[in-house]
Amino acid sequence: MFLEHVNPLQASIFSSLAVVSLLLTFVMLGSHWLQNYVYAFAVQSWLIAALSASVGYFAGYPELYVIAVLTALFRGLVLPYLLMRIIGRLNAKRELHAVLQPSSSLVLGALLVMFAFVIANHMNRQSFLAAHVVVMALTIMLSMKFLGFLMLAVRDEAVSQILGLLVLENGIFLGSQILVPGMPLLIEIVILFDLLIVVACFGMLVRFLVVHAGTTSSRQLNRLVG
Amino acid sequence: MILSNLVLQICQVLCVVLLAPLLQGFILKAEERIQRSRGPNILQPYRDLWKLFHKQAVVPESASWIYMIAPIVAFTAMLIVPILIPVLTDRPLPQSDMGDMLGGGMVLTLGSFAIILAGLDSGNVYGGIGSSRAVMLAILAEPTLILVLVGISLLAKAMLPFVVNHLLLGSPSTYWSPAHLFLILAFFVLLLVETDRLPIHSPTHLEIYMIDEARILEYSGPLLALLKWASMMKQFILYTIFCNVFLLPWGMSQIGTPFGEFGSVVALLVKFLLVALVVIVVETVQSRLRFYRYQEPLATGFLFAVLAIVSSQLM
Repeated sequence: MFLEHVNPLQASIFSSLAVVSLLLTFVMLGSHWLQNYVYAFAVQSWLIAALSASVGYFAGYPELYVIAVLTALFRGLVLPYLLMRIIGRLNAKRELHAVLQPSSSLVLGALLVMFAFVIANHMNRQSFLAAHVVVMALTIMLSMKFLGFLMLAVRDEAVSQILGLLVLENGIFLGSQILVPGMPLLIEIVILFDLLIVVACFGMLVRFLVVHAGTTSSRQLNRLVG
Repeated sequence: MILSNLVLQICQVLCVVLLAPLLQGFILKAEERIQRSRGPNILQPYRDLWKLFHKQAVVPESASWIYMIAPIVAFTAMLIVPILIPVLTDRPLPQSDMGDMLGGGMVLTLGSFAIILAGLDSGNVYGGIGSSRAVMLAILAEPTLILVLVGISLLAKAMLPFVVNHLLLGSPSTYWSPAHLFLILAFFVLLLVETDRLPIHSPTHLEIYMIDEARILEYSGPLLALLKWASMMKQFILYTIFCNVFLLPWGMSQIGTPFGEFGSVVALLVKFLLVALVVIVVETVQSRLRFYRYQEPLATGFLFAVLAIVSSQLM
């Protein structure tokens, strides 16, 4: 396994990239504005692209460069662009009636990070030198998944729900880049196109909702109509 | 010539007492300069103190002994804390083993506790408002402070500021570790809150959102001067802890020659200049938060502290 002979410099590069992407998830969690979510998501995707490129460089997987370019292009440019277009068409610029206030969700997110760390610590059975990189990657992967779930649960604007889904997916992607860097290229490409289709479908759904229901907030969509 | 440890310790305290108004003056001046107005002279806080010490003290009829004793307690607390922390020399000096970081935090809090009591004591409406706001802020800031202390002691395996200073000087990998960087961010949030800066405290004093000014509204003359001086010293002490223990552990006198002491005073002023500039930028770009959003910066600080503790476990 590649992580068994990672040197301190590589370990610190990986951990700083991963930690900053975790921080950007908190930016999404703590902000009111939909635009900020998209910017944070774009920067996070660029960081993950840099992470794949550096793993590819240090571990000697040339196909990871392709993945890095695809990630930066699709997640870092195309998806944010599509989301910005959707937001531009909406009349909602910010989360008005969040179930949890930003400060409470930050504190809850901090607790979730601790929970993720406890799980990751239990899952780690390796005893080699760079075992902390494994725990770090697992912790950040799990906490980004939890935070994505949290965003899905407590936000009711449609755009922030799709961003919660994307963050969740970014977390899995980040963890897989560090933990199992040799994943077949095809799977990665399939995931990327999956996301693209999700966002495209979502754009159509939002259009439909705006035309027929006049709102995209799930709070307003709780009445059954025949 | 090497100065004796006792003299060095007295120098540390004197440095805090004498230079605290200068820091306040610099921040006030620089804030105005950024907004392209002239601003008060950098020495204005000294003149204010001088003026207040030569005025008559007017005591409200409803005030009890707490009113008289609170400024003295606050000022004395701020005289004790510099003994416990590395201000000029990076090694423990006489009596610096009186308390560790928690002890220093307790003495700092004792000072603000005395002022809170004084605000309630005279029965003035604004005093009560100021005290209740200050207590709410203290309650919100306390978890972050405790977690920062826990984080730094997990990093250094000790509760002494001198050990932390030596650790950060000695190992760059610890200095640049995510745990330490998160601790710096968390402490910076605390620094903004505790030194009466935006986004919580209003830059204009004597208005309806005031917090610290409201508590001391009833004071006048020498007692008011003591309180103002104490709050400037608190700011200076917190800047010292932030610079010498967290952010910039360099440039401190090790042997204790007069020249070295002078050099470390200069280094301290340069470090404060850097931190104060960052604080001023925050104050300029940030508007005051609504009362019900006070918890947001503090929740951010709490988050940074938790992340620091988690990442210190990963090292």
